[in-house]
Amino acid sequence: MAAYKAALINEIEKLYKKKKALVALIISLVVIVLGQLAVVGVRSGFGVRGAGSVEFPVLVLSVVVNTILPLFTALVAIDCFSGEFSHNLMRVTLTRPVSRLKVFMAKVTAIAVFILANLLILMVFSMLAGFLFNANSATFAAVERTMLAYVISLFPLFTLALGIVLLTNIFKSGTSVFFIAVIAFLAIKAFGIFFSQYTSLLITTQLDWYNLWLANSFPLAKIGRDFCLMLGYALMFFTAGFYLFDKKEF
Amino acid sequence: MRISKKAALPVVFTVGILLFASTALADIVSKSGYDTLKDGLKQSAASCSEKFNNFTLDYSFVIKYNGEIISSQNDVKKFDRLNGATEDSSRSLSPDGKVSDSYYYTDKNTWINGTDIGTGNEAYYYTEYTQERQMDVFDNPFKQDEAEDVEKIVDAVVGSLKDHVVVQENADGSKALSGSLSEVQIPALVNAVASLQVKQAFSGQNSYSARIPVLTQDIYVKQIEGSATVNSDGLLDYILATVILSGKDAQEQAHEITMETLVKLTDINETVVQKPDLSGKKVKRTTERNSAGPQISNPEKFIGTFKNDIIIEQDGKFVKIGERILQIAHVESANIAGKYSEEYKEGFETYAQNALTFTFDATTSNQAKSDAMFEFRDNDGLNRSGSIYLDEANAKVYFNLNMSNGPYDSVFSPVLE
Repeated sequence: MAAYKAALINEIEKLYKKKKALVALIISLVVIVLGQLAVVGVRSGFGVRGAGSVEFPVLVLSVVVNTILPLFTALVAIDCFSGEFSHNLMRVTLTRPVSRLKVFMAKVTAIAVFILANLLILMVFSMLAGFLFNANSATFAAVERTMLAYVISLFPLFTLALGIVLLTNIFKSGTSVFFIAVIAFLAIKAFGIFFSQYTSLLITTQLDWYNLWLANSFPLAKIGRDFCLMLGYALMFFTAGFYLFDKKEF
Repeated sequence: MRISKKAALPVVFTVGILLFASTALADIVSKSGYDTLKDGLKQSAASCSEKFNNFTLDYSFVIKYNGEIISSQNDVKKFDRLNGATEDSSRSLSPDGKVSDSYYYTDKNTWINGTDIGTGNEAYYYTEYTQERQMDVFDNPFKQDEAEDVEKIVDAVVGSLKDHVVVQENADGSKALSGSLSEVQIPALVNAVASLQVKQAFSGQNSYSARIPVLTQDIYVKQIEGSATVNSDGLLDYILATVILSGKDAQEQAHEITMETLVKLTDINETVVQKPDLSGKKVKRTTERNSAGPQISNPEKFIGTFKNDIIIEQDGKFVKIGERILQIAHVESANIAGKYSEEYKEGFETYAQNALTFTFDATTSNQAKSDAMFEFRDNDGLNRSGSIYLDEANAKVYFNLNMSNGPYDSVFSPVLE
């Protein structure tokens, strides 16, 4: 456990030192600012509310969870694996007295930490923006639900990240992984539109999982099913990814 | 230790597959409330257009402000699919408190439209068709070509909101569906577009301004609620949708407007559509030719000369340089024949060189029944087509030539002196 902890700290520090985390943060803030500008513009221009104080964070989430968050998750996952493969850094990592499973787990956990941090920062800033610019009454319950929506979005994003980790262990170059991931993401989205009866099985659809948690009639069965689906995906991606990682010669 | 982990890998992977597969199966099999609603809608539409002999659709729409009804519309449509007859009575209440009723009845041979019903000043327009019309009283919207695409788009837009429809199964096999979306759940784009529409509707440009304050800011859709029942036969026989809007007036005062729509499918195979008894009522009768516009009672009146002016612009003025002359020599229901010519005034001989003259023999084509089509040869010896239409009401003839050289006026007036 101590070894895992050390490896994790090491991975998080590596991520933290990379500029991508910072860029992700800056872009997230830009989205909030642009979103707020759009809401204020719509309000003063057309007299339409656009989004209230509680709705604004959910609006931001609905946009980022399908766009920049998967994108940066992919970049970070690629960085953690392909980046180190190509720069022969993995050899350095593996010389440490830590098993490959622990290295793999530490990397994956670091990605999860990155996603969660990104979500939390987005949540805090979008809430601030929401309260500052949309001075509508907000109930505590509504705020609670918004926080819940942000936190549980970690699960689908993390599942997606595990899928990308699997890709990084199949393909060598980080660039090809990135493009394959983006194309696959778009293809799965398109598939969901044309074969709507299967949409609920797709990872891209589960990115909107947070919506279920906001429902007035809490659809417990559906939430449970989606969770099991994501868990199934995650287990498959994780084991397949680790198998390839373990077999790799560095 | 390490070996056991290796052995664990395939086990965990298999667990993942099993978990995914079993849940996926459960997910596909379990029908969501949204799907139940959609299936009910489809089955009802299919039954209405193909199965039921007759049925009644009851449709009402109400706008409420502060709990008070501002305007409403109630429409009872009776369909008799076997006999191809429909009857529609509606009553509407406008914001200024005026109640108006309207009525219409159609069957294969008749079309009756009532006006000023209930005012004591009732009048009926009674149209009789010379030929029986082929008509379906109810078209299944899901049978249209684009229905499938529309359904896909709707499904995609609705997205994860599908799971907000709650199903409650009753003991008798019927299902009660309900759903409620608050502002957070309504997609921002949908909310913004709907709010804009509301702003236009209640902008004070219409009669609503007398009863509802003009909303100028902070307009949004506060709540959407819906409920429906699917009966034991799988038919959607009742659907109620409520939309609550909120907005502020110029004085920052918040107001709420509620819109309710209710559709009920009732009296299946028990509806009687009866032709109204118009004896003793004010009736205006007309006779129509089947789908070909009004039948001309005595087409011979179109025999004669029709003209219009050939006009050009010269030195900043309109100048008449000649006339187009249309001589109709023969008119029958499916055939119109005559001669077309152009005459130019003195001094415009350059135009006259291209003067068009031909005779035509137009017959009604099957594709465009309102027009009689003909062919002619233009000055360059090319075969061209044209069409002629007789407008009885305005005493005009529309004479179209499919040519693109220069301005041409296709409306001809009769020469009467």
